[in-house]
Amino acid sequence: MKKQFLNFLTLGVLVSSLALISCSDNGGDPIIPPGETEGRFITVAGALMGTNPGDGNGGTMVYSVTKEEAKDPETQISVYTGGFGVKSNRTARLQSSEDGSTLFNIAYTGDNGGEFSRYTVNGGGNFVQSDVSVNISQYAGTSPRWLKLFDGDKTGIALNMANIAANNAPTEENPNPTTPFEYYRGVATILALDLQESLISNYVQYEIPLTEEEEAAGHTIFRLDGSVLNAAKDKLIIGTWMRKYNVATGETEGDYERLGSKSVVVDYPSFANPTVITSAVGHGDNSGYRSHYSYLADDGNIYQATERDPNGSHILRINQNNEYDDSYVFSLNNALGLSGVTIEAWKYAQNGKAFALISHDGAENGFVVWMDLNARTASIVDLPYDADLEFNQYQGFVVDGADVYIAITPVGKNGNIYIVDSNSGVASKGATLVNQPGNHYIGIF
Amino acid sequence: MKAGFTLLFFTVGFCISLVSTAQTGKLTGFLTFEDGEPVAYAAVFIQALKKQALSDERGRYELVDVPFGAHQVQVSSIEMQGLNFNIQIDKPRIQLETVVKRAGEKVLDEVEVTGESVKNEVEKAGFAVNVLETKRASLHSLQTNDLLNRSVGVRVRQNGGLGSQVSYNLNGMSGNSVRIFIDGVPISTYGASFSLNSIPPALIDRIEVYKGVIPAHLADDALGGAINVILKKGAMNNLTASLSYGSFNTQQANVSGSYRNSNSGFTVKASGFYNFSDNDYQVWGKFVRNILANGRYEYVRAKRFNDAYKSAGANIQVGFTNAKWADQFYLGLNVSDDYNEIQHGTYMTIPYKGRFTESQAKVLSVNYVKSDFLAKGLEVNFNGMISDRKQVVNDTVKWNYNWFGEQSVGLNGGPILRPNGAQQGAPTINHINRNISTFRGGVTYSISEMHRMVFSHMYYTIDRTQRDLMRPAREREFIGTRDLTKNISAFAYEATLFESKFKANLFGKYYHQEIDRMDPILVTQNGETVKSEDKVSSKNNTFGYGLATSYALNNSLTMLLSAEKAVRMPSENEIFGSPGENIIENIGIRPEVSNNLNLGLRTGPYQLNSTSKLTIYASGFLRDTKDKIVRRINPRLNDAVQTDPFENLGKTKSIGFEGEINYTWNDNFSVLLNFSKFNSVFNIQYDPNGNEYTYYNRQLPNEPFFTINSTVQYGFKNVIQKRSALNFYYSFGFVDRFYTTWLEIEDFRTPRQFIQDIGVNYVFPSEKLVVSADLRNLFDQQAYDNFAVQKPGRGFYLKLNYTINKF
Repeated sequence: MKKQFLNFLTLGVLVSSLALISCSDNGGDPIIPPGETEGRFITVAGALMGTNPGDGNGGTMVYSVTKEEAKDPETQISVYTGGFGVKSNRTARLQSSEDGSTLFNIAYTGDNGGEFSRYTVNGGGNFVQSDVSVNISQYAGTSPRWLKLFDGDKTGIALNMANIAANNAPTEENPNPTTPFEYYRGVATILALDLQESLISNYVQYEIPLTEEEEAAGHTIFRLDGSVLNAAKDKLIIGTWMRKYNVATGETEGDYERLGSKSVVVDYPSFANPTVITSAVGHGDNSGYRSHYSYLADDGNIYQATERDPNGSHILRINQNNEYDDSYVFSLNNALGLSGVTIEAWKYAQNGKAFALISHDGAENGFVVWMDLNARTASIVDLPYDADLEFNQYQGFVVDGADVYIAITPVGKNGNIYIVDSNSGVASKGATLVNQPGNHYIGIF
Repeated sequence: MKAGFTLLFFTVGFCISLVSTAQTGKLTGFLTFEDGEPVAYAAVFIQALKKQALSDERGRYELVDVPFGAHQVQVSSIEMQGLNFNIQIDKPRIQLETVVKRAGEKVLDEVEVTGESVKNEVEKAGFAVNVLETKRASLHSLQTNDLLNRSVGVRVRQNGGLGSQVSYNLNGMSGNSVRIFIDGVPISTYGASFSLNSIPPALIDRIEVYKGVIPAHLADDALGGAINVILKKGAMNNLTASLSYGSFNTQQANVSGSYRNSNSGFTVKASGFYNFSDNDYQVWGKFVRNILANGRYEYVRAKRFNDAYKSAGANIQVGFTNAKWADQFYLGLNVSDDYNEIQHGTYMTIPYKGRFTESQAKVLSVNYVKSDFLAKGLEVNFNGMISDRKQVVNDTVKWNYNWFGEQSVGLNGGPILRPNGAQQGAPTINHINRNISTFRGGVTYSISEMHRMVFSHMYYTIDRTQRDLMRPAREREFIGTRDLTKNISAFAYEATLFESKFKANLFGKYYHQEIDRMDPILVTQNGETVKSEDKVSSKNNTFGYGLATSYALNNSLTMLLSAEKAVRMPSENEIFGSPGENIIENIGIRPEVSNNLNLGLRTGPYQLNSTSKLTIYASGFLRDTKDKIVRRINPRLNDAVQTDPFENLGKTKSIGFEGEINYTWNDNFSVLLNFSKFNSVFNIQYDPNGNEYTYYNRQLPNEPFFTINSTVQYGFKNVIQKRSALNFYYSFGFVDRFYTTWLEIEDFRTPRQFIQDIGVNYVFPSEKLVVSADLRNLFDQQAYDNFAVQKPGRGFYLKLNYTINKF
């Protein structure tokens, strides 16, 4: 194992330096073709338990192997003993460069909450943090939600919705307002992070209104996340998590009739002119949780998943006019013949093929689902499913050509990397992931 | 040493008394000085009979089985001039009140001797307890928290300078498992404005720190330990005042005085204090940076700008002491007020501007103590308090600020809004009112000199209401109320056997807690929407019990063993949260249970030679805790706020030891050295699959597990002026480094702390005036109690103390 490790290291240094050279030589927009990346590192991330098994709140550790090693079931990876601790009090919010040579992280809570850092992947537990740190907490808080755009590792987008209050809430200037109630709104922040230069390149802060009728009923946007760039790269589509207040008591309502799923569309890169689009097909939220929830597909449309959807998760389509295409109906409940299907995380692979990590009514554990977005079909991938397998914190997939790498480990038990062929939906077993009680693997980068 | 001898005499005399059988009477008396102050620990002796008694703290003594007839009584104590008088015993019960003269010039020394006796008695009763005396420290510009921090096994963790939030760690137990009492009453009765942050050492007689095992008279569910602050009661007809000024515009003043009419016993005691500090000390290092518009860091050295603290309070007690119908009867009023600016949240990384809290408390009290109530040997005491506490948390400033106190400017040149609307969270002007009633009653029955029974009961109830002026009126109507009631009964049996060599204290405690939570809701009745109340209440009962024993192997070596199954109910803050302290609610929290054990010994004072003495204390401890309640370190919350609830962590275990060495030479040189080391570990062994957790038996994060403190003092007599004194001290506090999260990387490890202070005081010949100067944090080190929160750097303080006795 030790010798192997050294080999990775040498190889890793070579590969990453090559990758860096090719990047700087490129000059223009580096468009990464959907092909295999030679010598790509596969980085696995594991979450340490905090106080309760599986809570993932003890911090995050990472470990890298080569693609070949990742595919080999003989490889043993123990991120908790050989890995590198990413500086984050709680689960790190990791993203990787498209070639896998760089990890990006924004620390979540703690003394360095909101701090963005870059790590060069050198293989094994060898990660080198770059000197420059940048902190977005002034704009987006110390627990920011952020994602990388698919624009050649140039931009990260962080989002925040703050201080949701009624229009007639008292303020310092006007402690006893007499105006009637009209709406609950928060102040949205959209922030662009230049991943290459490590600095904040743009931000806006404004309110995003819904329709008068929706607002009068107490609906409001509670959270923004899951942003994606359209095919023309002139609009950013942002997912929402909706909330409804009881306008008579000011309390949050738990059970209510949901509106159609909404996204916020803003100009890119200025973030100006926010508009809200509404689906007639899905009624769930589409902000996702810690990972991408909307993808631009090969056909130029954006596909977006829904969660907390009364009729189970859907995949919605946003067309090239940046509007929901209500003629596209893809219900996971119907496609799988199950009820209460919720997509915890998903990944678009290529040519309309995608994988989703789901839970459904009556199931103890999570499942991996192979989806054909064009045919609107879905099926459960044949894998050894364990009762302790949960995907609620899962946040990282690697797509390499037609292959998708997924880490499958039940809480506290050993598991494996699985390499799933997006053309066939067939999984093959890769490296063994050595687990520890209370811990679980949360992604591959 | 003197106390030791009197104790020996007492024991001998007592043994003799056991064998007498003829017709006898009982002599009960009180010894007081001319100013009404009781004479404690004086020996009362009938030479011819070899009968001996020792007066207690209230000056009360008892001689039993005195044969009828005339006797000569001798009273002696180095505090007083010796006294002989004759007495005729002709009835079964005789009561006397005797006024004695003070022993002239040595007043200051003698009071110290008295104090040590109390200290000795408490420390050798069997509990793991250390008694801190404030007498010397009160002459200096020290806070009560500084004193505690220097004592063995205590770690005070403060979130900044004077007035900032503070928590205590006793032998690895922390947070709310450590209870704080003022004269035996839970400190929550008084609130933030009358706390260890604000009460100056000059108003405190002594502080008893009980670790792990708590005596029955401190009736509260203290799981890990109790700090009992005993306010000054002793000296009558005196007036003391002090004034201190120092760095960071720190001003502190206090005054206290008392009067007793020796004829009627009418007594008035009053005291007041005032504290102020800008706390504008400098901070620097890796946690102090301004964030530029593009997100890059600019590391700076800056003064804290939103951290001022002000507190003031007054206390008056009017009543009678040593009257026929009461040993003590007081009606009292305690008012206090504080204003506390908050510079940052849990970490120092984002400075706040304009966030502050204000608290006020008005406490009415009644106090009654009577010994030999109705029957001989029966003592009753009662303490009732009604408290009206108010708190306001104010946070409305919506912009970001940098460490220079300037508005942060964004990329587009304008100011940046805080991510949550105000400095810490959403804008708030939250008024939290609490009405607290605390009633404590106790009965002590001494069956004989060897057997005593103690019963005490405490009733505590708190009603809490809140009103946030930053919420719309209709929302305010839908804010609920929270009420908490605690009843704690304790029974103890105390035995003193084998010629007073063996002492045992066996106790049981019964805890009952009731929590009512009411939230207004809207319900539909007959098609109409009406406001209704959604009520939830929880009741919890549980038992605890324990034992404290001591055995004196000889005059200078005492073994101590104590154990308790301690219980702690979740507190109001733990259940309902406290916005002022960044705590959110957790309704489902369970009581903590801990099996605590202490084994220790106290030796000394050993007379090494004619001029030097040595005292040694050493103790080992075990705390086996289940359902431990701690502040959550890594909450599983998606919300972007630095607020954390309390929760049941599971099982933890803490094993450690502590020790203290005290060396004195010629009464003018002393060295005190103490240390504490413990291993506080995660104690859940297996996961549901039967695999062992990697955290099992590993040190919990965020526990300062190894500390050393030392104080060296040296005094000169007759410097500059005759009968004056000049005293120097040097002290240091060491805290070893520890990790703050389970992820053991260097970024989450605290630096090692070694903070040194020096000071000097000059006692003018009349002993009325004492001037002191202190230099704190001598080498301007970066001091941290909590991770990433820097405490004050070097500070210089000057203090004047003035005392008038016997007016």
